[in-house]
Amino acid sequence: MKLKEYLKFNNISNKDFSEKIGISAVSLSRYISGDRLPEKSIINKIHHITDKLVSANDFYIEDGDSQILSKVQKTKVDDIHKKLVKGEKKSLAKAITLIESSLGFHQLESDYLLSKIKANNNTIRIGITGVPGVGKSTFIESFGMRLINLGLKVSVLAVDPSSKTTGGSILGDKTRMMRLSVNKNAFIRPSPSQGHLGGVAKKTSDSILCLEQAGFDIIFVETMGVGQAETSVYDMVDIFLVLLLPAGGDELQGIKKGIIEMADLIIVNKADGNLKKLANLTMQEYKNAQNLISNNRKDITPEVLTCSSIEEIGLEDVWSFIKKFVKRRKKNNLFYETRKNQKVNAIWSNLNTKMEDYLNNEKKLLKMWKMKI
Amino acid sequence: MEKTKDFVDWQNLANKELKDKDLRKHYWETPEGIIVKPLYTEEDVKNLNHKIGLPGLPPFTRGPRATMYTNRPWTIRQYAGFSTAEESNKFYKEGLKNGVMGLSVAFDLATHRGYDSDHPRVLADVGNAGVAIDSIEDMNLLFEGIPLDQMSVSMTMNGAVIPVLASFIASGEEQGCSREKLTGTIQNDILKEFMVRNTFIFPPKPSMRIVADIIEFTSKQMPRFNSISISGYHMQEAGANQVQELAYTLADGKEYIKSALERGLNIDEFAPRLSFFWSIGMNFFMEIAKMRAARFMWSEIVKEFNPKNNKSLALRTHCQTSGVSLMEQDAYNNIVRTTIEAMAAVMGGTQSLHTNSFDEALALPTNFSARIARNTQLILSEETGICNVIDPLAGSYYLESLTSNIVEESKKLIKEIDEVGGMVKAIEMGIPKMRIEESSAKKQARVDSKEETIVGVNKYKPTEKQEINILSIDNDEVRKKQISRLKDLKQNRDNNLVKSYLEKIKNVASGAGNLLEVCIEASKNRCTVGEMTLAMESVFGRHNLSTKTISGVYGKAIKNDGKVDLIEKELDKFIKENGRRPRMLVVKMGQDGHDRGAKLIATAFSDLGFDVDIGPLFQTPEEAAVQAIENDVHVIGVSTLAAGHKTLVPLLINELKKNDAEYIKVICGGVIPPDDYPFLNDLGVAKVFGPGTNIQEAAIEIVKIL
Ligand SMILES: Nc1nc2c(ncn2[C@@H]2O[C@H](COP(=O)(O)OP(=O)(O)OP(=O)(O)O)[C@@H](O)[C@H]2O)c(=O)[nH]1
Ligand SMILES: [Mg+2]
Repeated sequence: MKLKEYLKFNNISNKDFSEKIGISAVSLSRYISGDRLPEKSIINKIHHITDKLVSANDFYIEDGDSQILSKVQKTKVDDIHKKLVKGEKKSLAKAITLIESSLGFHQLESDYLLSKIKANNNTIRIGITGVPGVGKSTFIESFGMRLINLGLKVSVLAVDPSSKTTGGSILGDKTRMMRLSVNKNAFIRPSPSQGHLGGVAKKTSDSILCLEQAGFDIIFVETMGVGQAETSVYDMVDIFLVLLLPAGGDELQGIKKGIIEMADLIIVNKADGNLKKLANLTMQEYKNAQNLISNNRKDITPEVLTCSSIEEIGLEDVWSFIKKFVKRRKKNNLFYETRKNQKVNAIWSNLNTKMEDYLNNEKKLLKMWKMKI
Repeated sequence: MEKTKDFVDWQNLANKELKDKDLRKHYWETPEGIIVKPLYTEEDVKNLNHKIGLPGLPPFTRGPRATMYTNRPWTIRQYAGFSTAEESNKFYKEGLKNGVMGLSVAFDLATHRGYDSDHPRVLADVGNAGVAIDSIEDMNLLFEGIPLDQMSVSMTMNGAVIPVLASFIASGEEQGCSREKLTGTIQNDILKEFMVRNTFIFPPKPSMRIVADIIEFTSKQMPRFNSISISGYHMQEAGANQVQELAYTLADGKEYIKSALERGLNIDEFAPRLSFFWSIGMNFFMEIAKMRAARFMWSEIVKEFNPKNNKSLALRTHCQTSGVSLMEQDAYNNIVRTTIEAMAAVMGGTQSLHTNSFDEALALPTNFSARIARNTQLILSEETGICNVIDPLAGSYYLESLTSNIVEESKKLIKEIDEVGGMVKAIEMGIPKMRIEESSAKKQARVDSKEETIVGVNKYKPTEKQEINILSIDNDEVRKKQISRLKDLKQNRDNNLVKSYLEKIKNVASGAGNLLEVCIEASKNRCTVGEMTLAMESVFGRHNLSTKTISGVYGKAIKNDGKVDLIEKELDKFIKENGRRPRMLVVKMGQDGHDRGAKLIATAFSDLGFDVDIGPLFQTPEEAAVQAIENDVHVIGVSTLAAGHKTLVPLLINELKKNDAEYIKVICGGVIPPDDYPFLNDLGVAKVFGPGTNIQEAAIEIVKIL
């Protein structure tokens, strides 16, 4: 809520309040009127003293109800967008940071940015999942380099799990994508997943849009095969790849039930050296199982392939399948429909999170009311 | 355990003397997980896991020779290498005049990685941490006036081992010393490179073939030369505890035996020329026990391969006092530490010893500090009388019991390695690396929360700053010199001949034959180290490391003394203001592969709540800047150990400027001489952290800077 409303509601005078946070009454009235923006540290103090009811947004947004950006913010975002179109990586990086930010006014900025981005249906969004160590990053490195050699621009979004205790994370994906990470036609951005904060789906989808705007043809989304992550990735991509180890059935793989059913393409990785035989066996096993599963896809049968990401064997087949898949799905319109549905879903899930935030705030308002009555 | 009446009396008495009346509270759990009691008695040595025996006889627990130091003391062997071959040559001659008995060559990082000094990736590495060797010409200068048939030479070389050893042998022959007269050691221990030090070039498989080539060649043509020095040293440096160091090194040794046997060699042909290399740290008794346990276990391991010659069973070792135990703060304490460590090495029965100079935590040793280091050994050997008795601590209840514990614990680790199919397999799976990094993070947490004392660092800090003179090397100067020498070489050689030799190397690499053999001829014909490496690389490929990191270990081991809460508060504030956690890119630029520091920082900071990006090893400043910008980090943490910072950090900052990305802050950590701090600060480095920095305190400072 706006500071003005807060003070009025609680019967606090400007003078009292300004003393409480250690600024002059004049400054405070300027902040309230919107003539000036308070510094970060002051916003912070206000935020805390008001039991988090007044926050940064309330200063940055000129009108409490209509979410309008200030001129300064608009210019900043316009500039980012202009450079994004040119494919400048720094602006792309900044855009993704805005999208990932938990601050309300950053979100406003990123919403504005996204409103300027036009849909591009010539890209391919490829989701990749599989247990840790199955070789997702190595696969993307080898496969991505191959695509770059075909003249495509390749980008990678990687989501790592956050450690539960303090929430920091280690993002080491680039060490496994050495060639891609120094290639000028590639862009890799590992993102710390933000635990319970939610909205991963929306954020990743938005980042994908920025990558497309910056001219990337292929967007890989790599997730760890844990928890909800993989199902949410399914909802942001055109084709969903599951990587498996040469190790026999689901239980041995340690993957979740249901994932296999979602896969458009199953790849048994590490089909090299003495694992080759086992890889072929595993492939066969999954092919057989696939025949048993009632096929809920009308248009195209999911495929099972083997590959070696290290020796770069079998990647050609993967690319052929992806091309065939996309072509078919475009022809029968499912490609476009899915993208449309995904967009709607992302907006809904985002609304959900926002709603929760709102209700949480509302609870506090209620508390405030009660104390007053 | 049966308790005598006397023992019970003692227990009661002891409990009475203790305030808490509980003797068990005074048991010490070592980092290896061994429980050390306050008192040992004859009960403790009744059921030992090892046999004590006699020196010179299997199982060699008491030493590989019958007379040990009573006949001849250990060899004082000081590892050194300075910038250029001429400088190193001068240093060696100075040492030889002053009691040094064997040479030990340290190579610069460019050479280690098989790059000639004119390669663009090694801008900051030439002449750093050792001598630059580009060709046989440099070798000739290095040993000018030093008769190689009389001087034992040890070379720390693993990655570029073929071209460097080849140049050495060729240089010897040009000097008039035939190969069978050469004595010394080549480190040639590639497995531990994949595990901890990362100074490899080729993938594991061809690397192991190279090891076998060398063992084969030396066993046939260089009878006085040690074909390999199986090294635990770098594991302990990387944070391994003593049991890990011992177990993984022996497991490496086993793997080398297997690959030599596969080559068709007979065990007795090469096993007597395998040698070992330990790090000796501050846990005095543990180190002695480790060395004794090692000898016993090695003899057991080799026995499985049915040697006829007892010499095959004897473990001979070189030791070096621990580099990580050296501290930047209160640096003169390092003299004392080194003395204690040297004493443990000697009590443990080492065959040769390097004592560190006290300023090695800061820079390369000066003449003064090198002299003290040498004298430490001379005093031990000539003033103390320690040499007069063989294995003087044998039979000590405590030491024998400890030796037995170590045998037991190491066997468990070796079993784990055996179960996955040997060390090559285990390394591919990342098992030893992971365990060592865990130990390292735990140790840091113990030091940060003062459970482990380091005098002058986390306790009893000096109030005044000491000035220490240190040696700095103008690395640019060295590079220029090397480059001009390379130019001369390339102008004055028969380039057609060179081409044909490089072709030959490729053929041998892709087929059968001995790589060392062909490279000796190639060296004589002035092929450079870089060219020979490139020829092999065209067949083998260059190995890239996939970095794995652990998490949670530091966070769990740290004692919360309020700092953790403070960090959380700072982070909360930061997130409220910025909409995300502070994000830091930890980079290692240049050819220095020691990533212990970088890994430790990454795992500790993420445990403390940062988002940490890790850069690939061997990054250039340009690549690091691009990664920082793409990942949109707040700060780049440069980890440096090998004096590259003076060249690399300015380049990095320049790259950031070029990209209009000066909003990304730069901090440095690692082995950086205090004299360089102002230089770095002037460049715009926001903060420099030396060795022994408390990570929690550093975290708080960094959040404040951002
Ligand atoms: N033999 C073989 N090893 C592979 C192959 N692909 C990956 N690996 C190895 O498997 C290990 C894990 O590979 P990554 O690419 O990091 O696996 P990931 O699935 O991305 O792992 P996380 O990101 O931790 O979930 C590495 O040591 C790779 O070298 C392959 O095709 N063959
Ligand atoms: Mg990965």
